[in-house]
Amino acid sequence: MTRPSGCGDGMLNLVIVGLNHRTAELDIRERAAFSAAELPMALKRMTQQPGIKEGMIISTCNRVELLCHAEKPETGINALEAFLSESCETPAEELKSHLYRHVGDQAVRHVFRVASSLDSMILGEAQILGQMKSFYGIAVGASTVGYRLNSLIQAAFHTAKRVRAETGIGEFSVSASSAAVELARKIFGDLSAKRILIIGSGKMGETAARHMASSGASCIRVTNRNPEKAQNLAARFQGEAVPFENLAWWVARSDIVIASTGSQDMLIDRSMAQAAIRERRNAPIVFIDISVPRNVDPAVGAIDNVFCYDVDDLGAVVEANLGERRRAAKLAEKIIEEEVQAFCARLRSHDVGPMVAQLQGKIEEICWIELQRFIKRAGPRNERETQELESMASRIARKIAHPLVMQLRAAHHSPTRQEAYLDAIKRIFKL
Amino acid sequence: MGWALPLTMVLYTLGLMHSIIGFYRKRQIFISAALGMVGCGFASHTLFLTLLGLRVHHLPITNLSESLSFFAWCITLTFIVAHLRYRINVLGAFVLPLVSLLMILSESIWEGNHTIPPLLRSRWLYFHSSVAFLAYAAFSLTFVSAVLYLIQEKELKTKNFRFLYFRLPSLQVCDELLRRSLYAGFVLMSLTIMTGALWAQQAWGRFWSWDPKETASLVTWAIYLVLVNYRLSASWRGRWASYISIAGFVSMLFTFGINKGLHTYL
Repeated sequence: MTRPSGCGDGMLNLVIVGLNHRTAELDIRERAAFSAAELPMALKRMTQQPGIKEGMIISTCNRVELLCHAEKPETGINALEAFLSESCETPAEELKSHLYRHVGDQAVRHVFRVASSLDSMILGEAQILGQMKSFYGIAVGASTVGYRLNSLIQAAFHTAKRVRAETGIGEFSVSASSAAVELARKIFGDLSAKRILIIGSGKMGETAARHMASSGASCIRVTNRNPEKAQNLAARFQGEAVPFENLAWWVARSDIVIASTGSQDMLIDRSMAQAAIRERRNAPIVFIDISVPRNVDPAVGAIDNVFCYDVDDLGAVVEANLGERRRAAKLAEKIIEEEVQAFCARLRSHDVGPMVAQLQGKIEEICWIELQRFIKRAGPRNERETQELESMASRIARKIAHPLVMQLRAAHHSPTRQEAYLDAIKRIFKL
Repeated sequence: MGWALPLTMVLYTLGLMHSIIGFYRKRQIFISAALGMVGCGFASHTLFLTLLGLRVHHLPITNLSESLSFFAWCITLTFIVAHLRYRINVLGAFVLPLVSLLMILSESIWEGNHTIPPLLRSRWLYFHSSVAFLAYAAFSLTFVSAVLYLIQEKELKTKNFRFLYFRLPSLQVCDELLRRSLYAGFVLMSLTIMTGALWAQQAWGRFWSWDPKETASLVTWAIYLVLVNYRLSASWRGRWASYISIAGFVSMLFTFGINKGLHTYL
């Protein structure tokens, strides 16, 4: 009997059918998606399909994945495809071109990559792991997962954690407002006790300020040509509205100034920044200018201890961070490969259990037959002698089986070697 | 005792290698490993210096190779303190090359038995020279933080969000380290000059003789005095403070290297 390379029989029966943002347009994804309310029923129906033993569904706005442990991979795939086409009321032919199918170690790798956010639309985003946890929870609640999927999902969570810890893939912010926070951090270190001034009431300015506040900035002031708008925004931050006429005075008393207005003028020019820095006794100040057209004269960036960033600069930070994420992803692929191999090897060593039992049984059987033959030929023995002979026979059986079993178990690191041993033992002992 | 020095060198080198890998790959585990190795190297270095001191019945800073080794010890000490205090992961990659360089220099000119000049057979050696080396070590840290500050400031000003931007610490942390090490170094340097003057009075009958080393150390001290003064009074910080720290460091190296006139013995 020949086995396919990679994972063993048990693993080969892990099957995934799914579609994601790369293979399917939004309207298909919308049709295929399962709502949280209908998931338990869908899980039940899925696992009732012929040949499906365990099942789990992941359904986010970017992907729908059906995971299952099937009796046979081909029938499993067919059953899942039929189930999906029925549940999203789309003809199988139309759906087929959008689906990907993974079997065995391919499926393991896919699950690990999804959990580690390497398959996400925004590489390295942290949400997918939490989402997977909750979908796993739903499947556990519907009791449609068993031993195989359990161990697979646990291994996927473990892999995702390792990827996060060892590659730092999530450390790089990829939104403009978090990039602003990151820049401020590179200058001030800790943002607690930093004073923030928001000029204008633009949406992006508000988001950036919110990010800063959640990073510990304690004091937030808002100013606007229209005092009422300033009041409204300040109320949302538990901040303080300050009069626009005293802009220069307040700029000097802020560490981070976020400008986000619709104004056409330069609100902060070189001389204002210079006066501010003098008044601040050279304590650094950061201008984040999210307005288009700009409200902060870019020339202020040339003053010592003044740092000025506009929308394009924030974009450059995001771009650089994405580059770092891509670099981290390369390292992550290696970790995933390691974990896939380790996972398959673990399952494999579970697989040798029945074989070990068979082998031991076979050798014991040989010894037993020979013992009976001996007693038949040499005549009946007394009770003590019979007992001694029996224990000798079982000792011989154990001592022959022991090194074989040890070798078989020890080979679990290397799937190909274990494969070869299993095959050899099967042939030699005709199991 | 023969094993302590090679062991120290090996541990320092391993620590340096791990710091650089940690810097390059931004992995905490390498940084922690590096700190552990440098810590062990420091322990073994301390043991080496202690045993050497016990053998010659003297503080082992009586010739150039011993001084370099002691200087390296002082820098490692300040590095460990700074690392534990500020957790600047990249510090090792910048400070430890200095330590390794000093150790290699010290090793290459090592002489087993040298006679200790009678002038140095004095209790003052403990107060004057060891404090001087601690001051040098603190200023070395000031220098490194100034360099880190200048590089990171340049990356931030030129909006160059690349390799160094991701790895170097924030300006605030660099500035804080610069400030602290500057103050510590300045106090120690002042002590060095004072104890030196007292020793000179005993040994040579004069507090101050304007020999080259004395003059150089006064210049170094004056540079740092200017920096400390403006730092305190006018809040000089950032780029200019960094430039002056670097100038002070160059002057300090000159002070260390100049051993003419009355200080001719190293």
